[in-house]
Amino acid sequence: MRTDIQEIDGALVAILEGEMDTAAALEAEKALEPLYQANGRDVVIECEKLDYIASSGLRILLGILKASKASGSRVTLRHMNDDIKSVFTMTGLINLFDVE
Amino acid sequence: MNRLRQFLNMKDARNNLRVILIAAVLLQLIIAGQHIYTRRLLNNELERNAENDLRLKAVLTRGMLNSAESILHDFEWDILRNLHNPDSIVGAAYWLVKNHEHLKGSAMCFVPDYYPEKGRLFEPYAGRVGDSVVVRQIAGPDHDYTQMDFYRGTISGNLPHWSDPYIDTVGDSSLICTYSDPIYDGNQLVGIFCLDVSLDWLSDTLNARHAHPSSFDMLLTEDGKVIVRPPADHIKSHDVDQVVRMINDSTVRRSPTHTARSQAIDFESEADGADGYVYYANMRGKPHWQVVTVCYDDELFSRLNQMTINVSLLMLLSLLVMGYIIRHYRRNMLRLHESDIEQERLGSELRVASSIQQAMLPQSSDDIGARVDVEVHGMLRPAREVGGDLYEYFVRDEKLYFCIGDVSGKGVPSSLVMAVSQALFWAVASHTSLPVHILRTINQTASKNNDRNMFVTMFVGVLDLPTGRLRYCNAGHDAPVLISKGRPQWLDVKPNLPLGVLEGFDFEAQECMLMPDTTLLLYTDGVTEAMDASHIQYGRERLMECLTDCPQDACQMVERVAQSVSDFVDGADQSDDLTLLAVHYTPPTMHSTLDEHITLTNDVRQTPQLNAFVDDVSQRLQLDKSLNRQLKLALEEAVVNVMQYAYPMGTKGNIEVSALADDQELRFIIADAGKAFDPTQALRADTTLSVEERPIGGLGILLVRELMDSINYERIGGKNVLTLRKRLK
Repeated sequence: MRTDIQEIDGALVAILEGEMDTAAALEAEKALEPLYQANGRDVVIECEKLDYIASSGLRILLGILKASKASGSRVTLRHMNDDIKSVFTMTGLINLFDVE
Repeated sequence: MNRLRQFLNMKDARNNLRVILIAAVLLQLIIAGQHIYTRRLLNNELERNAENDLRLKAVLTRGMLNSAESILHDFEWDILRNLHNPDSIVGAAYWLVKNHEHLKGSAMCFVPDYYPEKGRLFEPYAGRVGDSVVVRQIAGPDHDYTQMDFYRGTISGNLPHWSDPYIDTVGDSSLICTYSDPIYDGNQLVGIFCLDVSLDWLSDTLNARHAHPSSFDMLLTEDGKVIVRPPADHIKSHDVDQVVRMINDSTVRRSPTHTARSQAIDFESEADGADGYVYYANMRGKPHWQVVTVCYDDELFSRLNQMTINVSLLMLLSLLVMGYIIRHYRRNMLRLHESDIEQERLGSELRVASSIQQAMLPQSSDDIGARVDVEVHGMLRPAREVGGDLYEYFVRDEKLYFCIGDVSGKGVPSSLVMAVSQALFWAVASHTSLPVHILRTINQTASKNNDRNMFVTMFVGVLDLPTGRLRYCNAGHDAPVLISKGRPQWLDVKPNLPLGVLEGFDFEAQECMLMPDTTLLLYTDGVTEAMDASHIQYGRERLMECLTDCPQDACQMVERVAQSVSDFVDGADQSDDLTLLAVHYTPPTMHSTLDEHITLTNDVRQTPQLNAFVDDVSQRLQLDKSLNRQLKLALEEAVVNVMQYAYPMGTKGNIEVSALADDQELRFIIADAGKAFDPTQALRADTTLSVEERPIGGLGILLVRELMDSINYERIGGKNVLTLRKRLK
């Protein structure tokens, strides 16, 4: 999978692309480290091109959310496909994130 | 409640009083009616009596007068014989009076100048003075009988004549009547012969005998002069004048009487106000004197009145007693009623408890979903409203958890222990899949605080539905029966100890494999110890007999045994709770159209290979993209879980993943040779927690459960075998 982080209008935007399985998550966790230090900036996770996510990926996103909340940042999930959204629903995580 | 009771009591008392009063009034009315009726009857009877009495007295009086008349007529012959010797007539008169004590005197009044030598008037007379009889000639200028009524009346009428009563001026001044008869010598009138009759004597005779002391009799002349009156010392003598006046007064209303001869007058004494009756009648023949009887109500009806008063008092007394009894009974009734209400309350609570208890039991196989691989049917028939038997079953992760139990004793205490035991089974079996663990845990709880020594026998089984492996453990319960192809046999069961007997007891686990189409029948001793009227027990032999050639179907089997027990006891009282539970194992055989395998090592970086494997399977089964993603995620989570936990850190191990499928379902089997590890026992992650509370882990197994239809773990042949199923239709 591919990850890209951009800063747009003062917000950190992480673009996830491909399949975030357990193996990919190990790589992605390092790539997404800047998001743990959002320092008050809002975080946007762009999922338009994310095809699949395993629980290890969910754990990374939950970790980012916990860190951001502590520093007063909002974490927004954007453009999730239905399958990914249902994974978030099953696990109850959908209630914790801002979803667009 | 107390106020209500007081109010009811008051209302009761008032009602009682009202009833008693009404009864009293009614009874008194009846008594009064009876009194009036009796009085009327008595009155008629008394009138008849009075009339008879009057007639009798008239006859008696007539008789006395007759006797005087006949004395006189007898003596006339003597007079006529001795006319030539007037002095001898005097002698005869003497003897006449002397011999008849009720005669006051007798006299012969010769017509004037009959004996010239004796003067113009001659009246020899014999009169009683005290005890002696005095004889003398009484005629003279001062006693000119020719001017007297009796003489003139007799002469003019030329008939015997009774005078009105008068005072005997010649004799002792007593009241007398004179009977006079003209005497003829041939055709020549000689004189008038007179007899003076004492009326005192008549009075004594008439008033001699009376049933009632205040009644009295009188004799009146035809024109109402008193001939005989009661003695002066008679208690009612003061009414005499009034009676005479009433008889003589033609305006007084007379009552119709039975015969024309006697009459009756209602009478109220002017002297003392006493009510009474005056009966009177004329004598037959001359003189037409009137015989009178006076009676008084208070005397006539005194007995009736007394009787009425007595009866009234008796009735009132009875009513009082009755009132007391009614009150007493009402109280008891009220008390009974209250205890009835209490009974009713307990009864309805027990009924509610009974329905709650029944609701606690799984009702049918529906409780485990529409399953093709197992059919369960239970039945509990408590001896009372609530019982101490229990059974429970449910399916979790392709395993059927079931138990049957029997709490010592019956009724409410047992039902409480039953409820607790059932809840404990539920709670414990929800996160442990080994029967021995379940029983050990329940035993720990049951042994603590078991002051009342309530024990529970329980059999717990966990049937792994994909494999047919039955793990079971027994706590002092009757051994179940295994029925295969219509042949029943006892399951090999270690008795161990009932729950609650010994804390920390080491229960021994057992297991066996169930062949397809095998039924396991569990029961409580209410079945084998059911007794008929002659106290013979149903017993294990009859149970085995009943199960021989029995249909394997769980529902039919339970009903057949229950019916057999019912037929056996034949209406005798059910002495113990009766429970049956049948588990019919019917695993479908899978004819897989797919047989794919992949072997991975315990390295999470191999997940892309796994995903490719699932993609391949999905493609071969022509599953859509969304389902493919779900399967991929579920399998990845399950396999990664095994990769991370099955083998100790730093050691290598293999994980085999197989995919099987028919047109109904897809099955993934994940097997590893690592340490025993059952991921299905992990607690479910709480999806409702906040960001701060939410743990990072625990999501994987949650996703597997959500995405697949079932997950099942078995340790088979030293391997962990995890089976994931997805229904395709």
